[in-house]
Amino acid sequence: MADSKGTNEAGANGAALAAFLGAGIGAFAVGVMVILNESGLFEAPALYEPAGGVSGRTTIAVVIWVIAWAVLHNRWRDRQVESRRVHLATLLLIALGVLLTFPPVWRLL
Amino acid sequence: MDTMLFTGRSIWTMIHGIVLGGAALMGLSAALFSLRAMRVADASDVAAEHQTRHLAWLTVFVAVVLWLTVLVGTYVNFPPYRATPPEGLTDLSQFPRSLLQSNPGTVWLHAFAMEIKEHVPWIAAMLATAVAFVGVRYRSTLLIDALLRRMSTALLAICFLLVSAVSLLGVFVNKVAPLE
Repeated sequence: MADSKGTNEAGANGAALAAFLGAGIGAFAVGVMVILNESGLFEAPALYEPAGGVSGRTTIAVVIWVIAWAVLHNRWRDRQVESRRVHLATLLLIALGVLLTFPPVWRLL
Repeated sequence: MDTMLFTGRSIWTMIHGIVLGGAALMGLSAALFSLRAMRVADASDVAAEHQTRHLAWLTVFVAVVLWLTVLVGTYVNFPPYRATPPEGLTDLSQFPRSLLQSNPGTVWLHAFAMEIKEHVPWIAAMLATAVAFVGVRYRSTLLIDALLRRMSTALLAICFLLVSAVSLLGVFVNKVAPLE
């Protein structure tokens, strides 16, 4: 059921929160792919050789983002979801994702 | 004598940084301003309905332009940037990464600036896409629903900061080791 804080045409905020959290997961996936590569734990294959490993890392992150968004959308699209926790999780995942792409951070490894 | 003013590589760099990147920054500024200035309390406001339609298209424009910037940067500009020069070559002007790494004073432009440029724009494109989706799907309530509007504003603000920072690093890299 819709509450007073969040509604859309269908009366549910779930699709919006799925998009937000999906983007957070995608951002985090980018950071994880970078840190895995820099630590030597997982080196994504170059999908386009002239661009090198970045083509593999970013493609995998995009696939994770799309899958996460699709799954969340499928589960939440008709539901009214508590926003604040999802917003917080999204911002946290984005912050971690950006942080992990920051060279001084992965040089600490 | 016929001399080319700009090489193909140089033109692609301008398309990436100025045309697409510049358009993304302008679009982000406009979308952020609109989210702040157009907020309304009444869903039946006819003017608001008109405004939200424009805002929805603006967020879609930002997302599309950001994806184009990212794809051109990764698949068109980055390969010649990272190309390996032939053994023994002393003039590295056609090999920007090697040129930056050959001077201790400019090594950071690759090790820090370019490493960030490789990945962070993908995050910005994902965030902009999420906001564009919300802008279109929740068009009639985006300017009324405080929580939705606040989160969209937050994501676009993060996006703006990331794109600004990456653009500035791109200017630094291109000033020292341009793709020509």
